[in-house]
Amino acid sequence: MDIQEAEAGAPPTPSMRREQFTFTGTGREYFGIWIVNILLTIVTLGIYSAWAKVRRNRYFYGNTRLAGASFDYHARPVQILIGRIVVLTILILYNLAATFFPVAGGILGVLFLLALPWLVMRGLRFSARMTSFRNVRFDFTGGYGGAFLAYILGGLLTWGSLGILAPIASQWMWRYTLDNLRYGDRPIDCDPRLEKLYGQFVMPAAVFVIGLVVVVVLGVSIFSLASGIGLDLEDFSSDFAVGGILLAIYGAFLPFFLLFVLVSLLYSAGARNVALSETVIDGQHLLASHIGRWRYAWIAISNFFATLFTLGLARPWAAVRMSRYLAGVTVLYSAGSLDDFFSTVKQSEGVVGSEYMDIEGLDFGF
Amino acid sequence: MASEAEDGQAISGVWYAPQTSRAMTATLRLEDGGRLTARDEAGAVLASCELPAAAFSDRVGSIPRRIAFADESAFETDDNDSVDRLMQPLAKRGSGLVHSLERFHPRLAVFVVLVALLAAAIYRFAVPVLVEVAVLVTPPVVPELLSSSTMTTLDNTVFEPSKLDAETQKDIAEGFDKLAAASAGGADGYSLNFRKGGHIGPNAFALPDGTIVLTDELVEMANDNETILGVLAHEIGHVDHDHSLRQVYRAAGVTGLILLIGGDVGAGVEDILIQGSALLQLRHSRSAEAEADRFSIELMHRTGHDPLAISRFLELIRDKLGDTSESDFLSTHPATPSRIEETKRYAEELMATMPD
Repeated sequence: MDIQEAEAGAPPTPSMRREQFTFTGTGREYFGIWIVNILLTIVTLGIYSAWAKVRRNRYFYGNTRLAGASFDYHARPVQILIGRIVVLTILILYNLAATFFPVAGGILGVLFLLALPWLVMRGLRFSARMTSFRNVRFDFTGGYGGAFLAYILGGLLTWGSLGILAPIASQWMWRYTLDNLRYGDRPIDCDPRLEKLYGQFVMPAAVFVIGLVVVVVLGVSIFSLASGIGLDLEDFSSDFAVGGILLAIYGAFLPFFLLFVLVSLLYSAGARNVALSETVIDGQHLLASHIGRWRYAWIAISNFFATLFTLGLARPWAAVRMSRYLAGVTVLYSAGSLDDFFSTVKQSEGVVGSEYMDIEGLDFGF
Repeated sequence: MASEAEDGQAISGVWYAPQTSRAMTATLRLEDGGRLTARDEAGAVLASCELPAAAFSDRVGSIPRRIAFADESAFETDDNDSVDRLMQPLAKRGSGLVHSLERFHPRLAVFVVLVALLAAAIYRFAVPVLVEVAVLVTPPVVPELLSSSTMTTLDNTVFEPSKLDAETQKDIAEGFDKLAAASAGGADGYSLNFRKGGHIGPNAFALPDGTIVLTDELVEMANDNETILGVLAHEIGHVDHDHSLRQVYRAAGVTGLILLIGGDVGAGVEDILIQGSALLQLRHSRSAEAEADRFSIELMHRTGHDPLAISRFLELIRDKLGDTSESDFLSTHPATPSRIEETKRYAEELMATMPD
């Protein structure tokens, strides 16, 4: 039903070797890790959450395999715990200030917004340096300006243009996160072209417009049908009226919200395809992504409802299902051996740890 | 493969030279003299160090195990069981314990039940205790700052100065002072402020430092000082029970706990939990209203006023504002008809047991 569904075929040049990403985790195995994570986090009033994060990430990284090797995650829980305490303290102080001094809260809000790119940058760098593949660590060299462009201006641009300029924002975002990534001593280049991103924009935009028309037409006809058969809307007892108004608000709001979620999923999957497929490692190894956009949206939405209706118990299965799908649609075309990369990030964890430990924990709150 | 490591047999895997991605098929074993040694296929030594000097990664599911040598070269293998046996002499139990808890086993069903019970217990007992502790250690300056900033904001945006004549204000203020003198905070613990309510209409509310605001619209609607005093006694009740501080702390505590398990439940479910906890907050808000109603009845009774004043006011709300809804779902206040019934019942009970 769309071009991306087609399996990406032969390597771009015959000399290249096709290496398929795979995910080898299982819902059954992850379930135990997941429930113990939650249990110990609750029992320790949150302290274990740092250890939980390391075990969760190690499980997902370690099960992501490529060319016979797997990824690994090296952060130490204590680093993450300290980072979380720092971030939590800042959030609490900020919220207190915002509650007690609304004016100062506004100023702090602006400062916070200005600090956000810096925090994102340090967070990305920490994650990259804590990730390894075949004994070699990743690194991230992005600066403040790029993060500001990608995360603040990009967001403003997307919302301000009602989504029409979203491809520009995603170009900035992918360029910032991938083009600044390094694998050991070698650069990774990513330059998603705008016309290709707009190519992925057309279908979701059409779905949005058509969906909008359908929702509005359906809404209007249901409403006129209701008044047509003599349902006097003012005749409800006030008890009904409260429930009715609430229902009407949610009923009217929900279809738009679902439509928005669907369209965002369709577009972000397409943008990932474009960005990864224009990513080159060390000038010779090519990444490729061929997500089926409808398939991806279906997995994300059905995962959400499955998790909700099982009161969370299906979450391990859902998380594994998504990782397995994403690995299965991602490919590396290698031009030669993957043997000759050298780690440049010093692995003596004391250095990395003392310098960056205060930054982790940014994954929550945003 | 299982018993190989024990007899000094080798674990097979891959060895990486320090800092490189160059992989080499290799074997690992504990050799004579307790040295952990990796050898290539030809038997040449790749790396070797004393067992305690090697760093073993924790076992998580069945992901590959990494053993880093002192020279920062590393050996990787999928053979987790053999690695566990190899490192047995090190007797590092901690991480092994977590892994054995995580194994797929009927015990996991017990964990699910435990999580549900503990989450409910924390919400029901631990959060209230933490909230009480937080209220106790809050210095008085916090409610003062909170109140003065709220008051300034409201004065700048919603309120206008009261248009009530001085005599009405004086009458109400005198009654209020008597109520205040008979309350925990004493005559100086509370201050009454008259404002024209603008679009918030007939209303009265209390800020945590004892500032109580009464709108002209409410005075006009009630048109009876005794009824108004019943409302003011209700607001004093909110102050004495620290209702607004408790609400702020409870919301912060619950949200914080949800954020900590956020990574494990996923962003969508995390949002739903936060929204859901906000709905549950409403239950506390409703019980705070009921508590303040009872406080009003007791205070009015104690100061020789009519304990039924608050009931009369609620009847006014019902009759003049047409609030007859029986449902208190999704509401910060209990349903008005049931509040009327409850306040009447409580006032009559009080008058029967402690007649003037």
